[in-house]
Amino acid sequence: MPSKPAMLIVDDESNVARTLKMVFEREGFEVETAFSCADALKLLDKKPPLDVLITDLNMEREDIGLEVARAAQQLKKRPVIVICTGYANPNNAQEALDLRVDYLATKPADLNELLAALRRLLALRAAQRGAAQ
Amino acid sequence: MSIADRSAPKALVVHSDLGTLAGIQDALSRGGCEIVAARDLPTALMAATHHFFHVVVISSRVTEEGDGWPLAGVMHLIFPQAYIAVIAPDKNVCSLQAAINHGATHVFETKTAPSEIAGAILKKFPTPSKRLQ
Repeated sequence: MPSKPAMLIVDDESNVARTLKMVFEREGFEVETAFSCADALKLLDKKPPLDVLITDLNMEREDIGLEVARAAQQLKKRPVIVICTGYANPNNAQEALDLRVDYLATKPADLNELLAALRRLLALRAAQRGAAQ
Repeated sequence: MSIADRSAPKALVVHSDLGTLAGIQDALSRGGCEIVAARDLPTALMAATHHFFHVVVISSRVTEEGDGWPLAGVMHLIFPQAYIAVIAPDKNVCSLQAAINHGATHVFETKTAPSEIAGAILKKFPTPSKRLQ
């Protein structure tokens, strides 16, 4: 049986992070949470390869979630990167597009839509890796 | 294989306005790209089954409001490494979010001149004519 996809959820609102963790664990993901950019960066270094990163934007400071996305972008095995924010604006959305973030969800996020997007992106990633081998 | 290894980037341009279509087509051709033009979705989809595109330029409104976005998503699935630009009325959060979520690379505003669009795209690709300079 294939192993569960590994997900890191980064949000300084612990209730949001914990609720998303509960939802995605129920959907078959192995979920870890971080409540700040600093904690997320430490986890990105330590953890075995992640399949999905979902990060908030505004934590220790505005738009710091883009730093988490940037760090994830540079990992050897790049995860699917999702930004989930209530504070999207043309500047941070442009930066997310330039970073080639895979999905931008605005809070309150439609979880069914997000889940469908994640499944599509993970399947695409798997197909690309399969083709490259 | 990097784009620099290829002789001439092939571009699909999808726009219902003949003037804009011709403008982008001319400017990209002068820059050394091979162009396939389409004014509607069926022609664009048919072109994707016959050619390998390195660049795709799509109006966010091909035949109706917003139908260019899912077309961009389809093109991203077929040509995951392609540079996909969408021409939208505004570069606001909604357009940028749609671009990210459909796998587009760049958003141009409708008011952008075709030559400027082509110039920005050609900067990304060392086409044969540019390499000779």
